[in-house]
Amino acid sequence: MLASKAIEQLWFRRRADGAFAARPGAEPNIEATAWAAIALAGAGEQAARLEPSLNWLAARQLEDGRLPLEPELADVIWPTPLAMLAWSAAGSHPDRVARAAEFLLRHTGRHWKRKPEEPVAHDTSIRGWPWVLGTHSWIVPTALAVLALRRAGRGEHPRVAESDALLLDRRLPAGGWNYGNTVVFGQTLRPMADTTGAALAALAGLTSRDKVAASIHYLEGAVKRVRTPLSLGWGLIGLTAWNARPAAAADWIEESLRAPERTAPYETASLAVLLIAALAPRQPLGIPGG
Amino acid sequence: MSAPAGANQLNPSRRNFLALLGAGSAAGLGAGWWYHGPHEGGLTAQVFIGRAERYDAPLGDLLERALRELGWGAEGIRGRRVLLKPNLVEPNRAHSHINTHPLVVRAAAETFLRLGAASVTVAEGAGHVRDSLLVLEESGLAEVLAEDRIPFVDLNTDSLFRVPNRGGFTKLDSLVLPASLRQADLIVSMPKLKTHHWTGVTLSMKNLFGLMPGQVYGWPKNVFHQEGIHPSILDIAASVPVHLAIVDGIVGMEGDGPILGTPRHAGVLVVGPNLAAVDATCARLMGVNPRKVAYLAFASGRLGPIRESHIAQRGEDWRTLWQPFELIDSIPAQRGIRLAA
Repeated sequence: MLASKAIEQLWFRRRADGAFAARPGAEPNIEATAWAAIALAGAGEQAARLEPSLNWLAARQLEDGRLPLEPELADVIWPTPLAMLAWSAAGSHPDRVARAAEFLLRHTGRHWKRKPEEPVAHDTSIRGWPWVLGTHSWIVPTALAVLALRRAGRGEHPRVAESDALLLDRRLPAGGWNYGNTVVFGQTLRPMADTTGAALAALAGLTSRDKVAASIHYLEGAVKRVRTPLSLGWGLIGLTAWNARPAAAADWIEESLRAPERTAPYETASLAVLLIAALAPRQPLGIPGG
Repeated sequence: MSAPAGANQLNPSRRNFLALLGAGSAAGLGAGWWYHGPHEGGLTAQVFIGRAERYDAPLGDLLERALRELGWGAEGIRGRRVLLKPNLVEPNRAHSHINTHPLVVRAAAETFLRLGAASVTVAEGAGHVRDSLLVLEESGLAEVLAEDRIPFVDLNTDSLFRVPNRGGFTKLDSLVLPASLRQADLIVSMPKLKTHHWTGVTLSMKNLFGLMPGQVYGWPKNVFHQEGIHPSILDIAASVPVHLAIVDGIVGMEGDGPILGTPRHAGVLVVGPNLAAVDATCARLMGVNPRKVAYLAFASGRLGPIRESHIAQRGEDWRTLWQPFELIDSIPAQRGIRLAA
């Protein structure tokens, strides 16, 4: 099976200190290390073997709980929920998870009451999470934070319910999500598979199926066409969370893994997301679906 | 002639764009009040316009002629590592006018290699989507790069380094850049000729947003939207040495660009070493007054000339080729920027 070869590829990218390179030969980062750890935990790897990676992530956590992209880029907080998901998937570092959860719950994206003359249609007052502190809330960082908080047992927090509202508000009229805008200057924007998959995964179990039926329908069509690992991986994770995993999913994953890596090897994070979709046909991120 | 070490010139006086904008509004001054004046600090630049009706035209020959007429002989290119930065915003196979056409990228790559470049790399940090491979696939560029064995770097996730913000138009003290920029000798901005709903037009300077890593600034490069798009364009252009612009104006976009506008055939490639001058010329080709586009007006005399009299025209005359791209009056950035007939 190609997935087992991909797992070997992932291990090959791990350095002696436990960190995973962003791609072969590149420097490591939190995103690659966290996603690789989640995928390998999903593949049944022993926690002890993952421990160096989980500890490497722990060493990057600041006192207030955040894991910034780099220590000197403290406002770039989006990697924080990824580390939470990695620790949770391996059942380790509960104190670190709790501290990161508290950080997320203390912070929001920039939000404001929308003025009538503003050209965007979404409700800018709903709080979610940003990529970078001080900026607006967007789909992927909000979805990741919701997934991480739910996995950490904080799914009942009002901020999770508010994020549910944010994600539903940012749905495109015909279904699906893009990075987080819906209608600008009266024109409807287009959905994307990866962001739709992330939003659907976050919403599974939080909202009713009829509210996301059009988005599921969009994604079912999109995953038939995309073979890049990030979009296919997130697309299948989102559909699986709603018990809508296509019968051909395994074939598409194999196709993606077999595809010539035309311009560069797959990024570690993207490869890991695809593996998560491949190896966990139920509850890929450990969260009960809808 | 050797390529200039950095095309970006800047008046060293540090100004805050927003503060000046506020002061201008308070004084009741109209659009263009911040324009640097008739002398533009003595700056001049050359811009080449070449006619190309179709993407299957001999674009490489046209680009080679452009470089020759601009004084960029093989001696300025031989042995250089070239980084081509196209405009790839969103994956959408059905709307090819969103992204720089792959055959223009191919023509540029082949031209630089033919003139002796040590290497050519294509690099982009797509603005709206984390999945750069998907943008490459859907734009048709992946196939071209694979056939030509041209490497691609995702600038959104590259290694990082920091440079001082030489513009000072935003509050940012420094800019964090992808390491691939440091490994290139010649950086070429390759935008599409488009109107834009936040900035009026999007050309070689706005295209530099795609140099900025999404992992640091978010998608859609949130930090710069927060800081203000016009001042951010100026800061990036002032801080990152970009050596040449090649604008894909064969089929551009009018109306609600940069994504949802409609295709507009313009039949041109526009080339030049000074990005402000190239963008001003492209604006004229679209029937837009560059002095009414905030970032261009502010670039005047600081990052380059935008006055027609300070731009030495090579190739075709813009006056014979210009056409009024559709502007939407309900979009503030496109209101009142039309070039007077």
